[in-house]
Amino acid sequence: MNCDGVNDKLPDWLSDELSLTERAAVDAHLAQCPACQQELAATRQVWQRMGAVTTPEPSPEMRTQFYTMLHSFDEAEQAVRKSTWGTRIDSLRQWWTPQLAGRVAFSFLLLSLGLVAGYWLPGRHTPDVAYQQRIDTLSTQVQEMREMMMLSLLENPSATERLRAVSYTKDLSDANGRVIDALLTTLNNDPNVNVRLVTLEALAELAHDPRVREGLVQSLTRQESPLVQVALADVMVKLQEKRSLKPLRQILRQAGVNELVKSKIEQTIRELS
Amino acid sequence: MLRVKAGDLNRMGLLFERYHRELFGFLYHMSGRPDVSEDMVQTVFYRMLKYRHTFTGNGAFRTWMYHLARNVLIDTVQQNKRSAHHYDVADFADRIGGGLPADESLHREQELALLRQALAKLSDEQREVLVLSRYQELKYDEIARILDTTEGAVKVRVHRAMNALKTIYLTSEHER
Repeated sequence: MNCDGVNDKLPDWLSDELSLTERAAVDAHLAQCPACQQELAATRQVWQRMGAVTTPEPSPEMRTQFYTMLHSFDEAEQAVRKSTWGTRIDSLRQWWTPQLAGRVAFSFLLLSLGLVAGYWLPGRHTPDVAYQQRIDTLSTQVQEMREMMMLSLLENPSATERLRAVSYTKDLSDANGRVIDALLTTLNNDPNVNVRLVTLEALAELAHDPRVREGLVQSLTRQESPLVQVALADVMVKLQEKRSLKPLRQILRQAGVNELVKSKIEQTIRELS
Repeated sequence: MLRVKAGDLNRMGLLFERYHRELFGFLYHMSGRPDVSEDMVQTVFYRMLKYRHTFTGNGAFRTWMYHLARNVLIDTVQQNKRSAHHYDVADFADRIGGGLPADESLHREQELALLRQALAKLSDEQREVLVLSRYQELKYDEIARILDTTEGAVKVRVHRAMNALKTIYLTSEHER
């Protein structure tokens, strides 16, 4: 073994990490190499000096502190362990008594009863019927009030008010005899041409009623205003009212009939016949 | 330790009695401060309790203890660095030198102070292997397990550390 090899082994030699054969080899080299002996001495000096550095005794408080820590840790650990599943199940068991189970079952029974009852009850429709009846009564009353108002308005001296009265008839869902009579009277007798025209329009809307149709036909001969005559002729065409042919011819025979009205009526007669 | 892991925390007292002195020695030689070392011993044992589930039982308890101790040491040094309480080499040597018994001869006292200074000048890594080998009297294979390395690497590290220490110590002795 050479010097380098021995040098490498010196710390191991000192810390007793060498095998017996290695140690013997190093010893053999050391015996004949002064340089290595010196090196060993230096290393050994440092090694031994290191050993002389004393380790102070830890203070007794350290032990006390350790046992305090261990104790508190143990307690905390046990507290945690207790508060886990075991206690949860226990508390659940305490809470879940037979009485409670009965109560829960009973409340479910009540709930399902309520649901079943709620499902069957609307089939009888009692509240709906009463409600509908009330609505019907109310709307009938409103209708009657409208009629009253219309009839009284038609007597009003102001042409504007009478126009408004006629326009109300559009809101009346189905006009009764009194309304139709009032309208026909207005159509035949109202002094204002505009009111008569609007009345004619309103009556044309109600032409599905046979009385209205008859009234309109009869009204033909009574009209003197060319505008109303022409408008009536139009309505007759629209309604395809054959009964109007006779009064129309009557108008043609009358003296002093407007030329324009004459040609219009001739056209109407052609379209109807 | 396996019994501690199973919940028998009182067994921890036994481990403390058996190992606290060794652990304290290691931390003291690494940090150079007895008070800090005592705190660190406490921390190591606390972590043993807290992280006892990480102890697998493969390998010795002592190796595990040194693993924890090294981590605590790193944490403490980092904390001190952060709080500007830096480990100054001269400061470290002075503090160790101050703790010597009064009846030592002046010459011997000076020699020891020099050696402490030299040890303090080593890198943490070098000081660690020397402390483990010289003061904790651990075999190379044990050191290798603690440092998570091979026995050969430990051997090389010890040699380098020893040579470095020898150089620092002998030159400072000549300078005197």
